[in-house]
Amino acid sequence: MSTTAPEVPRSRARARKLYTVDNPKKSPVLTIVVAVFTIYCLLPLVWLIINATKSQGDFVSTFGLSFGSHFALFDNIAEVFTYDDGIFSRWLLNTLMYVLVGATVSTFLAALGGYALAKLPFRGKRAFLFIVLGSISVPGIAIAIPQFLLFAQLGLTNTPWAVLIPSFLNPFGLYLMWVSASDAIPQDILEAARIDGAGEIRTFAQVGVRMMIPATVTVFLFSFVSIWNNYFLPLIMLNDPKWYPLTIGISIWNKLGNTAGNSEMLQNLVITSSLLTIIPLLIAFISLQRFWQSGLAVGAVKG
Amino acid sequence: MALATEAPPASPPRRKQRAGFVVRFRNRQIGWLFIAPFCVLFLLVFIVPIFYAGYLSLFQQRMVGGDVFAGVANYQKLFGDSQFWDGVVRVALFTAIQVPIMLFCSMCLALAIDSRRLYGTKFLRLTIFLPYAVPAIVSTLMWGFMLGVRYGLFRQLNQWLGTDVNPFTPSTTMISIGVMVTWAFTGYNMLIFYSALKSVPHELYEAAAVDGANQWQVIRAIKFPAMRGSLVVTIIFSIIGTFQIFNEPQILPSMVSNSGITTYYTPNLYAYNLAFTGSQQGYAAALALVMAAMTVAIAYAVQIHGMRKALNG
Amino acid sequence: MRTMRLSSKQKIIPWALAASLALAACSGDTTAAPLDEADGDSATGDITLTVWSWDATVEQSVAGFEAANPGIKVEVANVGSSMDEYTSLDNAIQAGSGVPDLVMFEYFAIPYFAIPGKLTDLTEFGAQDLENDYVASAWSNVTMGTDAVYALPSDYGPAVLFWNADTFAKAGLTEAPATWDEYYEAAKAIRALGGDYYIDHDTGDLFGLLAMIWQAGGRPFKVDGNDITIDFSEPETVKVLEFRQKMLDEGLLGDSVTAWSDDWNRALNDGTLATQNMGGWLTSSLIERAPDQSGNWRIALLPQWEAGEKVGAENGGSSFGIPTDAAHKEEAYKFLEYFTNGDGLQPRVDAGAFVPNLSVLDSPEFQDASNAFFGDEKTGAVLAEASEIAATGWQYPPFFEWARTVYADICAPLYTDHEGTLEGVFETWRERMVEYGNEQGFTVK
Repeated sequence: MSTTAPEVPRSRARARKLYTVDNPKKSPVLTIVVAVFTIYCLLPLVWLIINATKSQGDFVSTFGLSFGSHFALFDNIAEVFTYDDGIFSRWLLNTLMYVLVGATVSTFLAALGGYALAKLPFRGKRAFLFIVLGSISVPGIAIAIPQFLLFAQLGLTNTPWAVLIPSFLNPFGLYLMWVSASDAIPQDILEAARIDGAGEIRTFAQVGVRMMIPATVTVFLFSFVSIWNNYFLPLIMLNDPKWYPLTIGISIWNKLGNTAGNSEMLQNLVITSSLLTIIPLLIAFISLQRFWQSGLAVGAVKG
Repeated sequence: MALATEAPPASPPRRKQRAGFVVRFRNRQIGWLFIAPFCVLFLLVFIVPIFYAGYLSLFQQRMVGGDVFAGVANYQKLFGDSQFWDGVVRVALFTAIQVPIMLFCSMCLALAIDSRRLYGTKFLRLTIFLPYAVPAIVSTLMWGFMLGVRYGLFRQLNQWLGTDVNPFTPSTTMISIGVMVTWAFTGYNMLIFYSALKSVPHELYEAAAVDGANQWQVIRAIKFPAMRGSLVVTIIFSIIGTFQIFNEPQILPSMVSNSGITTYYTPNLYAYNLAFTGSQQGYAAALALVMAAMTVAIAYAVQIHGMRKALNG
Repeated sequence: MRTMRLSSKQKIIPWALAASLALAACSGDTTAAPLDEADGDSATGDITLTVWSWDATVEQSVAGFEAANPGIKVEVANVGSSMDEYTSLDNAIQAGSGVPDLVMFEYFAIPYFAIPGKLTDLTEFGAQDLENDYVASAWSNVTMGTDAVYALPSDYGPAVLFWNADTFAKAGLTEAPATWDEYYEAAKAIRALGGDYYIDHDTGDLFGLLAMIWQAGGRPFKVDGNDITIDFSEPETVKVLEFRQKMLDEGLLGDSVTAWSDDWNRALNDGTLATQNMGGWLTSSLIERAPDQSGNWRIALLPQWEAGEKVGAENGGSSFGIPTDAAHKEEAYKFLEYFTNGDGLQPRVDAGAFVPNLSVLDSPEFQDASNAFFGDEKTGAVLAEASEIAATGWQYPPFFEWARTVYADICAPLYTDHEGTLEGVFETWRERMVEYGNEQGFTVK
């Protein structure tokens, strides 16, 4: 918070500087207004962190934003990883597998398709774009139920493929790739590669891919997040806990306490596992910030 | 290898011939080779399920007697189903209110961050974007716990302020869901706007400064037009997003009481419950198709302008 | 069947992924191996039974069973709340793959699966001989009044009244209400404490209400094959609805806490919630939910409608059945009998399961066991008595799973806006059930 309350000497020193278009005068009022909004953004995460440190007993008996009688975070983490023979680790690995395979394949297919749309002529391009871009606006959930019924016919439900195959398709990624390939790859470089005798596939692999890397990372990141956070699709496709991703696992744990009978209360595990689930994403977010932005810029400009 | 060394003279014309063919093929259809995997997948995951849903929607499933061909009966029933329309009106209303508020916040934040007048810009930008990383299931759990009126933070708030606000009554639940959705996506949309602002050529600002334009004039004349394209994108994505609201109303009822969340609270929730609790897959398929058609129609209405530009450009 | 499934998968996957990354293929290799293991047949010829259960005590019986039955392995999976589980089972049956060998069902869910033929009739394994080992009403749940046996009872929910003696004392009361009239008076005394104090909350608790109707003698659902009658106008039923309505009208029941929510746990734990009309299965769970109230809670028989009577009812409870499509039925039944009636029963009881087996309920260990959480009350004796007095003859329609979700929709306006009456809600509910039932091919009146 030192950023909102700069020391007096520093601001005086700065006052002597000339303000430019690039470096206008800082505004404490504006900063405070934005900071208020960030409180809204951070509050639930703070709540999550605090409550991950409570035992089940403290969780039901203490105020939400105060700590419990003892610090149980490490006990909770240990319990998360050991409960039910350590099924949480399995869910974590499943999620990683879904995310890495799904995001890699979908990004690759989108790059391939986006490149072709931008740089290669073929018949039916307009119709193709029209249908695929149109599909972006079909709610994923509307399509998920027929997908389930179809996959059930094919015997694919309750296998990892039921989650992976739909995640391979990323029309929005294709769109981003198309836009970025049009912008980032100069036609004459491709022509030069072709004149050198490179086939289309080699041209793509040696010239195209290199120039599309920033967009590729962005599309990969978006796929990554959307697959990591996917809830509805695995909810309907899977019924074997061995194949659950984290989102379903956590919701199952949460529901245990809500089911009548000899079920157990696992709220401390639900909270702690929620925290563990978002940590990898937060790290990815923080470390790969610039890619988020560069990719979004592409989509934003073309729009 | 041996062949190549034995007949060097013959090879140049042959190569030319082959290249010619490849060039011709390349010029016409090689693009299809590149998009073929995507197409196959698109067929399997999107087109075929749509047609399959269309087929299924013509049947009714019965616990006694199995599937019965019903023609368009499911559609007739759907158009007269007050529960379906109840959900449609609810999400439409939600979209009409939540999306403008959220996008307004996103735009303001993007402008604030782009103004370079904030202390700790990087930190603030990242913080606002962070909620996007939180899975909807986790965010619903957190907000559900936090907004609980008896023991959540709201009880404390009510005590301090002497109020009696309950975030989960039939009239306020949708607002609470709005708070959750806004929380999750404001930062995402902000980043889209911010990216658009970043791409404004620097010279424009300098020119404006030379002309003596003030902050508001710069915003109106330069920044708003720059964000217009992004606005189309964000509106479409927000509409699609809100029309699919599912996780929140599916998870909340077990956490809070009397929230007014019904099994048909949103069309998606209704479709899910029809298909999986009521064993009415045919009816659910009809519902899913009608919803898809409605969303596409709305999205196209917003999109068509930007799309046409992009296709021609 | 298994090979068919595999071959269709093998056909489809290379086709779908022909041009995609090698990475995907690698993952195919890594994922294929555990999948086979899950399906059951490893190289040694061992059989793996898949059991779906949200009852954590089942796990306690696995080791003993595996030791006694070499060659059979048991895997217990928790696929979520009961409703999620039924959805998953329906999905698996529809998909024709991943159908488990043993599945846990609440009693009311048995007809939903049994009537369309999705459950194995266990008389094929001689299950009918076990009838006298169980509390009568538990047994009638799994036979649905027919000659078939569709499941074996695994836990039981005799309707009892959990009451907080400390909160009662604050209101000047020393004993659990013996009749519903006394309950009404107690409700007034507890409400007079002000604040969040209520004798109970009601946000549309269907099962508590049905237990009261059950106890009063109402039998609103009559199922005879595909002919179903629904009638909420019996005087016994009307009496209960009017009683409940009176309590609601006078504000004696709170309306802000839903059972199983976080708020509910906290209300149980801070003593503001004075009673719970629930099944005996709450016993072990209450200890976890209300640690601060240790020593204060008690268990009593449900209050009676007529002073001096002793009639009980059921509130929940569950059983395990074998899906028609299960792969290892014989072994599944072996395990089923083992953990519901055989040597595997005791470890579950020790772990906190409340079972409807007379051998357990009548045993001195069970009858004499006292529980410090419940103020050293002999809770076993109360629960056993409540089980044995539970009235029989109650039936659920096969679409009850659907009906209960719809009930929540219908009763919501009553609880949130205080619009209409309980009787009106039940009438609307009946109309919806009649419409749905007939659409589903039953003859519902």
